[in-house]
Amino acid sequence: MRRNLTALLASLLVAAAPLLNVGSAAQAQNGPLRIEITDGVIEPLPYAVPSFLAETPAAAELANQITRVIAADLSGTGLFREIPATAHISTVSDFNAPVRFADWKAVNAQALITGSVSVNGKQLTVRFRGYDVFADNELGAGLQFSGTTDGWRRMAHKVADAIYSRITGESGYFDSRVVFVSETGPKNDRRKRLAIMDYDGAGVQYLTNSSALVLAPRFSPTGDRVLYTSYESGFPQIHVLDVGKVQRRVLSADKGIMSFAPRFAPDGNTVVYSQAEGGNTDLYTMDIATGARQRLTRAPSIETAPSYSPDGSQIVFESDRSGTPQLYVMPATGGEARRISFGKGRYGTPVWSPRGDLIAFTKQSKGRFHIGVMRLDGSEERLLTASFLDEGPSWSPNGRVIMFTRETQGANGRALLYSVDILGRNLKPVRTPDGASDPAWSPLQK
Amino acid sequence: MGLQTGTKISLAAHGLLVSWVAFGAWLPSEPLPLPVQEVAVISAEEFARLSQQIQAPEVSESPSPLTAPATSPEPPEVSVRPETRPDTSTPQSTPAPVEEAPVPTPPEPEPEPELAETLPVPEAPTESPAVIPSLPVPEQLRPADRVAPVPVEAPEEEVAIDDLVQPEVSPDEGALSEQEVQEATAPEAASDRIVTEANENEEAEPTPPVTAPVTSVRPKPRPSRPAPSAVAETPPSTPQTEQASAIEDALAAAIGGGGEVAAPEPSGPPLTVGEKDALRVSVSKCWNVGSLSTEALKTTVEVSVSLEADGRPKNGSIRMVSSTGGSAGAAKQAYEAARRAIIRCGAKGFSLPSEKYDHWRDIVMTFNPEKMRIK
Repeated sequence: MRRNLTALLASLLVAAAPLLNVGSAAQAQNGPLRIEITDGVIEPLPYAVPSFLAETPAAAELANQITRVIAADLSGTGLFREIPATAHISTVSDFNAPVRFADWKAVNAQALITGSVSVNGKQLTVRFRGYDVFADNELGAGLQFSGTTDGWRRMAHKVADAIYSRITGESGYFDSRVVFVSETGPKNDRRKRLAIMDYDGAGVQYLTNSSALVLAPRFSPTGDRVLYTSYESGFPQIHVLDVGKVQRRVLSADKGIMSFAPRFAPDGNTVVYSQAEGGNTDLYTMDIATGARQRLTRAPSIETAPSYSPDGSQIVFESDRSGTPQLYVMPATGGEARRISFGKGRYGTPVWSPRGDLIAFTKQSKGRFHIGVMRLDGSEERLLTASFLDEGPSWSPNGRVIMFTRETQGANGRALLYSVDILGRNLKPVRTPDGASDPAWSPLQK
Repeated sequence: MGLQTGTKISLAAHGLLVSWVAFGAWLPSEPLPLPVQEVAVISAEEFARLSQQIQAPEVSESPSPLTAPATSPEPPEVSVRPETRPDTSTPQSTPAPVEEAPVPTPPEPEPEPELAETLPVPEAPTESPAVIPSLPVPEQLRPADRVAPVPVEAPEEEVAIDDLVQPEVSPDEGALSEQEVQEATAPEAASDRIVTEANENEEAEPTPPVTAPVTSVRPKPRPSRPAPSAVAETPPSTPQTEQASAIEDALAAAIGGGGEVAAPEPSGPPLTVGEKDALRVSVSKCWNVGSLSTEALKTTVEVSVSLEADGRPKNGSIRMVSSTGGSAGAAKQAYEAARRAIIRCGAKGFSLPSEKYDHWRDIVMTFNPEKMRIK
């Protein structure tokens, strides 16, 4: 009996073995091997930018300066790491000559930027190409910028913007400016003036003198005008300044009424701001052309720091209606507001991201100040910084970086500008000649 | 009538047996060893006390209060607040109420930088800002730390950065044959998550050691029967233990061995889970998503690649099969990052078993950045 059973099992196994093999063979033949990769690394992408070629003798110095500005722009993002020229194996002696990719792979350059500069009188021409080294091909077509020699920094920023965009897939932010409040003098006698500079701190120019306290400048959507609050009349009033002509005018001139915290609507024609009247602060809008006003909130609490969504349909603002300052969102025409911040602490100065997906804010918690970001519904709150006093976030034109004010403690403490990316990486100071606060980032220049 | 021979023998044997039983005691024999154990004489009180310890201790119905452990008089005060805090009632940069408004100061006699009469019109690059030397890159307070799947401690300074860990090898003095010098290498330092200024202290603050048991130890379950071998026939996608890999190896080898009989073409055994994991890890090391846009970080791409027999990718064969979750532009960026990963980490050939080349000649790799968005 047992012998018969063993024989039966053996015959079944023998019969099944070919079937198993056919199945595995079919698996091997039918399709490629499939694997899923979910873990990667986050590190700066190594790139090489050999000094741009000077096609004319007069271009030699500018070629080197332009190369350095491009490298500073890219490396300053924290997303890229320049491979120093001393490590280069290849040299680029002809802008149109084929690139020896093997030499750049050998130094692990994953991107390569080559360029040439020519100067003819005051006319400056910059040509460049980007390469994906490990793919042995170009990163898009080569481009050429022309302008005057005085504008060489902007041309360098434009080249860096193009490279940044081709590698990351999002627009750059290097050809942009920042308006801010320049601060000099001790804490108890601080003098403040409006100033404007390139995003990287170069080319600082002053827009007002220090005869009156100025606060919270904000760029218009086209970057040609700036709103700010001035104490020139003895109490806060909103001014608008034409950046090109450096001409200004008072926007709200009602005596005895304080108006502050202004910000442009995305259409550039309307301003939303806070107005304090009879001990109560509410939000208003004003048509810049006609001066017509509309009251958006009617609450006994303090409503301030309004900021439009990029499509202009909603406003995020700060209110202490719940007892402590928190963030709220309401329709741009006013109406019911919904609270979006629920963490422990006090929230203020909300600013809507130009991408529309995040809101940056200042948070005070446990005696420290933070710059943070959250989703529009208040979820995924992420604190990016922590210090004695951080406040006043402003978004880069592409919504990837936040610039803010950091003030150090003590009698000799001073305010400086800092920037950090939205993941909390690459925290660094922005160089300014003096103390600086209240930065407002312009859109990309045309 | 004489007795039969069998009966005689039986009578003789029985006689001998009876004789041995009757007279056996006279035969010499060794006495059996008797175990001897020393004992102590104890008193009746001691015996009673020993007997009491066996009994269960009495338990009071109501628990008695515990005495608090000895601690320092007061816990150390943790000061996180700055010495002089700013007024926290108005954290925003809006102006203070009117009564606190500072009086504008008159123009200072000291010279100020000249105001710009006109600023360059923000048009094309024809504007004319003052030409100044380029600024050095500002010092980064927090370096852009490398984030990798597995945290890596910072290597020693003189160690070269490489994915492969290998010790330094210097030639022996006086060696007759030429010896190859090997430079010490170690992977670059990395964290397994992004550390911001706001959360870096979370790591620095040591957590007090927990000494008390959190849960009671449950009794060990009865050993279960070995799982049926069907588990190995459907390998799960998650990484397996060594045991699982070994089972797969054995099964793959067994199936491969029989393939000589029925397989239509030469075909090695399929890749084990362990071998697939090794390939996955190899590509992961070079998949750098740090420079991708946020939209590209939401885009999953499927990339196909053909490999040479030595494990090196054929660069011309790399192409995007499909993408999900992002625009065409984002998919392009995601694909380029994936392609760089395959080419860079495959430059020396992926470590794959050559006898299974038929199974990894063509590969489709899915790059899913979901876990990398906010690491």
